[in-house]
Amino acid sequence: MLSLVLAAAMQLGTRGGPIAVPPHVRTIAIDTRLAEDARLRVGDRVVLAGQPAAAEGGDTVVVAAIVAPNADPSEIARADYRIRLHLSELQRLVGTGDRVDRFAVRTTAAPGRQDVTDEALARINAAAFGFHAYRSSEVAVRTSRTFQVVNRFHRAIALITIVASSIFLLCILVLRVDERRRDVAALRLLGISRRSIVGSIVVEAALISLVGSGLGTAVGWAASLAINWHYRGVYRTPLAFARVTPDIVLVAVALAIVLGVGAGALAATRLVRLPPLALFGR
Amino acid sequence: MAAQPAPTPGAARAPVVSVRGLRRDYPMGDEIVRALRGVSFDIGAGEHVAIVGPSGCGKSTLLNLLGVIDRPTAGEVRIQGRDVGGLPDREATAFRLRHIGFVFQRFYLMPMLSARENVELPMAEAGVPAAARAARARELLAYVGLADRERHRPAQLSGGEQQRVAIARALANRPTLLLADEPTGELDAATGGEVIALFQRLREDGTTLVVVTHDDALARAAGRVIQMRDGGIVGR
Ligand SMILES: Nc1ncnc2c1ncn2[C@@H]1O[C@H](COP(=O)(O)OP(=O)(O)OP(=O)(O)O)[C@@H](O)[C@H]1O
Ligand SMILES: [Mg+2]
Repeated sequence: MLSLVLAAAMQLGTRGGPIAVPPHVRTIAIDTRLAEDARLRVGDRVVLAGQPAAAEGGDTVVVAAIVAPNADPSEIARADYRIRLHLSELQRLVGTGDRVDRFAVRTTAAPGRQDVTDEALARINAAAFGFHAYRSSEVAVRTSRTFQVVNRFHRAIALITIVASSIFLLCILVLRVDERRRDVAALRLLGISRRSIVGSIVVEAALISLVGSGLGTAVGWAASLAINWHYRGVYRTPLAFARVTPDIVLVAVALAIVLGVGAGALAATRLVRLPPLALFGR
Repeated sequence: MAAQPAPTPGAARAPVVSVRGLRRDYPMGDEIVRALRGVSFDIGAGEHVAIVGPSGCGKSTLLNLLGVIDRPTAGEVRIQGRDVGGLPDREATAFRLRHIGFVFQRFYLMPMLSARENVELPMAEAGVPAAARAARARELLAYVGLADRERHRPAQLSGGEQQRVAIARALANRPTLLLADEPTGELDAATGGEVIALFQRLREDGTTLVVVTHDDALARAAGRVIQMRDGGIVGR
């Protein structure tokens, strides 16, 4: 099936530069995926038809541009090709004459005027004869509701992962500190105070957390590159699938340090509360 | 090489350690293990005492009480006149830091710290400024014959060398009393000999030293031997 999108004005980014097309020849623009799969190049002639069998009756058009697909998450799972063609071509192709579901209008502000879009919207909607005009950003919000839900799922999964792995880390840290019980006992016998011991364990835990979250960030960043490279290839889209933003790094580092310090303090206070001779395992 | 400071004149008359009627019972379910059954003795300043006796006779129990890491069931332990038997944990810890040096059978050096940093540890806790503690740590490492090993970690040192670092650490805050429980227990005859020689030197330099040992050579290095059996002293 062909998914058809009309462009009111064909101002398209082209690959291979613009070509000189005689005015009577109709043109289309295709996306890079179709160009790749059908081995089409700018300047090639193709026949447009609704059904393969109807190819003889179709219009011959020239591929005038090859356009990179949009980074639109709503289209990622669909392997559809995108073709941009003139309105008359589209109408002939679908055979329904004057019928358009929606179309986009690009507004350009005149020098010194900022409100052209608002004004255009107001005017169109005041004159409304059976349709409504929206800003593209509004449309984006409406169509991305699914992604907001998905996003919430992601957050929930992240939260569960963090809680589970923190408990795991806590146990490991308590065990690791427990391995040092004899050292701690020796320090206590030498006259090192509980506070100093807890303090040094907490500082060590904080440093380890800092280094660990740094390494984790590096690994995460490398993984995001690999993931993006892989899925961009699979879905042939410029979309970013995984991102490591400064915010995420900040949260990760802060979380790691808070957890590390908490676990270290817990493990250490548990240990120093015991009398030193008991720590020696007597 | 740096020498240990001589004991303050006059301290010899008042004992550094005075133990009277010391008892330590360990309740074990319904039974009570009487590890110390009332021992009394004095140790003068600069004395080098070895505590010997069969296994389980209460040597370590006694040493722990002298080192203020355990509390007597009855009787008293005085160190430089101060009754240390009932000190609460915080005060006992502070007392150990300033007055007691411990040497363990298994060294217990901190594996991540260098020899010098291990020696500096008790001084850092006592608030000695960094420059002073580095100087003192070097001096002590030279004293135990490890001047050239100050940057080495415990894992890079032999057992005997580790024990000498541990002795340097025990001396760091110029303790009133140096205590050692089986300091040669983990060492072979040769490396044990190094430690014994070091204890002899400590004795000559006037350090008050109590050593628990099964090692005859180490006991012979002491000026006085306390013989124990079944929680009591049977000969001195
Ligand atoms: N924490 C404890 N709880 C119960 N009994 C103990 C405890 N510590 C020591 N004992 C008992 O007290 C007695 C004296 O123990 P101690 O460790 O002082 O002996 P020791 O002379 O040092 O022996 P060794 O030469 O084997 O080290 C032993 O019977 C021992 O089992
Ligand atoms: Mg013992």
